[in-house]
Amino acid sequence: MSKTLVAVIVVAVVFAGAFGDAVFREPSAVVREQAIQTRPIQHPADGYASSDGCQACHPSQFASWRASYHRTMTGVATPESVAADFDGVTVTQVPGHPMRLERRGRELWAELDEPDWDGTGDAPPRITRQVVMTTGSHHQQIYWYATGHGRLLGQLPAIRLVADDRWIPRRSAVMHPPNIPLVSESGSWNAVCVSCHTTLGKTALGTPWGEQPLFAQRIDTTATEFGIACESCHGPAADHIRANRNPARRYALHLAGSADQSIVQPLRLDARRSSEVCGQCHGLWEFYDAAAERAANDSGLPYRPGDELTKTRFIVQPSSNADSPTMKRLLAEDANFVRDIFWSDGMVRATGREYNGLIDSPCYRNAKDDQHRLTCFSCHSMHREPGDQRSDREWADDQLKPQARGNGACLECHAAIGERLTAHTHHQQESSGSSCYNCHMPHTTYGLLKTIRSHQISNPSVQASLDTGRPNACNLCHLDKTHQWTAEYLERWYKTPQPASMSDDDRTIAAALVSMLKGDAGQRAIIAQAFGATAAHQASGTAWMAPYLSLLLNDSYDAVRYIAARSLRTLPGYETFVFDFVANDTDRAANQRRALGLWRDMRNRDGRPADATLLFNRDGSFIADRIDRLTNQRNNRRVFYRE
Amino acid sequence: MTPPDYSHRHLRLGWWWLFVFAGLGLILETLHGFKIGAYLNVSNETRRLMWRLAHAHGTLLGAVNILYGLTLRGDNPPARDPRTISQCLIGASALLPLGFFLGGVEFYQGDPGLGILVVPVGAVLLLAALFLIASTMGKSRPPAPRDRAKIR
Repeated sequence: MSKTLVAVIVVAVVFAGAFGDAVFREPSAVVREQAIQTRPIQHPADGYASSDGCQACHPSQFASWRASYHRTMTGVATPESVAADFDGVTVTQVPGHPMRLERRGRELWAELDEPDWDGTGDAPPRITRQVVMTTGSHHQQIYWYATGHGRLLGQLPAIRLVADDRWIPRRSAVMHPPNIPLVSESGSWNAVCVSCHTTLGKTALGTPWGEQPLFAQRIDTTATEFGIACESCHGPAADHIRANRNPARRYALHLAGSADQSIVQPLRLDARRSSEVCGQCHGLWEFYDAAAERAANDSGLPYRPGDELTKTRFIVQPSSNADSPTMKRLLAEDANFVRDIFWSDGMVRATGREYNGLIDSPCYRNAKDDQHRLTCFSCHSMHREPGDQRSDREWADDQLKPQARGNGACLECHAAIGERLTAHTHHQQESSGSSCYNCHMPHTTYGLLKTIRSHQISNPSVQASLDTGRPNACNLCHLDKTHQWTAEYLERWYKTPQPASMSDDDRTIAAALVSMLKGDAGQRAIIAQAFGATAAHQASGTAWMAPYLSLLLNDSYDAVRYIAARSLRTLPGYETFVFDFVANDTDRAANQRRALGLWRDMRNRDGRPADATLLFNRDGSFIADRIDRLTNQRNNRRVFYRE
Repeated sequence: MTPPDYSHRHLRLGWWWLFVFAGLGLILETLHGFKIGAYLNVSNETRRLMWRLAHAHGTLLGAVNILYGLTLRGDNPPARDPRTISQCLIGASALLPLGFFLGGVEFYQGDPGLGILVVPVGAVLLLAALFLIASTMGKSRPPAPRDRAKIR
């Protein structure tokens, strides 16, 4: 073998190593996506590169992101990614005729009534469509089919309730008024979901939303990547990846310990900017005008991590911008725009808007400096920390830092309280009453068939409960106590002035029952969930709860029924109680009677509650006239949460 | 002065290298067996890769040294100066596994530690040794009788 030939081989090997990415570039993924015409596709552009390029240098961060529900927020429907069986399944929990699901090799198909039926003929025609996308993987999973019109997606009329491993009608999964007309969800993925459930999604409708029928216009929706991926929080990374192919640059940065300016690291941003990274999706916002919306339709949302969020979007914050021209315009377009999301004092009541709660919190607003300002990252970590012993699933559930699972996050600033915790809380050290979260972030926000913690830090206040109808933290645990009782303790312990006036009901009836019987559907859902909490059982006893939860089993709102049944099953004697919250009225009423019958049997065996606060007479019978009166006073306003 | 016995040197080195780096393999298996996070956690993937490479390169270089030692004892050893080849091979045998190992002791996320810098040096030495062996292998063979006549 000649020396020249050997030299050529050596040079070729070295060259291939240095420029292997170009030499051995795998074209398959990008080419495969671009060949697809019937659904939105993943197409990195505008300086974005997709998460594929991140793993080599950031393996542990990549792995924890892979384990997160951010990644699986939306994706291509495959036999592996769907949470339901599609193999010859008939789903009856849909309006109209049952939906039939089948697998054709690796493809998933559905036969259903045409959701976009124009009303001609006697009944909607049957259509057979390929299911191509999913949304959600944790609590619920929504399925999207290819409509056959460009990249427009339609929604299957039933969704998978993951925890219960069952199908339910789509509308039963959300807090919407009963009996409102069904509307087609075609285009919702393209126009709404794409902005926050993908990375740099571009709706790409030919004309502004609502101006022309969807089926009469071009729809070319794309995203850099499905799901909330690395570049959602770190910004476009193509330049960063390109720059760091140079090992000398990387090692210079490693050795100097300096920040790499070619990428955004949210933890290095100041407190406001870092929280805005989360707030871009976990906040309620709107476009300032139609031109901005149209630009985002074509090019994706203009916000990039590190930018000032309000430069490119209007953050809906009734406590601070209720009188702004943009808010007035939004309210003129939809008078319920604010009321559907916020309590009357401006605190958020619908989930997914945690950023709005954060920025109204005193720990954020009143922080003496940036070091002490509460941010999303005070409690949450987007990447599992080294040494975190939790399983992937456990960590991914709320992505809390290990130290933030208890009082650690709060005590970082409020150390003095931690040193005399029981003197502050007046509850035992290890009890739920000594948890900072339980008193200052109670479960007063609703979404996804459950309540979650308010992310606006607040102090328990009976006055606020009276003013807004929002249950206070004390009465969410002490379900058997009145507002009067709570007000007296708050005054005694914290010098909180008692409300100037209180109704007879607020003074004599358990606050939870007043909310449950008189409150709107949102309040009923909050109370129903509180009835299922172990701490509430310990504080309030359980013997009196079943009949009230039974009342809610026939609530007009599907979501309230679902939560009531779930809480009922936490009570002794009801562990195996079967209740289908989407069954017909007759079956539901029969099950409600069964639940009450169970309680009567237990009451006769174990003794009768006889507490007027809980609306029982001395003989254990109900104070029926008061219950009827409160029920007749129920707030039947339309509750329509934008979850 | 007695010329060094390169064959003996490389056979000895090779068997010791096999012993040491097969031993490293046993240690790595133990780390697997006891699920040691410092080796197996996703955040330590770079360490795992580097130490596996140290194990593999050390073991294979042990085998190469043995092969070279045996080759020197054959009828037709490489014609080049065995001293140069020996130095290259020993340098490669030391630097390659050591560099990989050190690269996994301290590392920067997906980048190995600075010990990795000696790996390319070792790789060049190995390639040089292999080239010198391959390019002169058999050239020291005594000429055949017919060729001898031509020479005359």
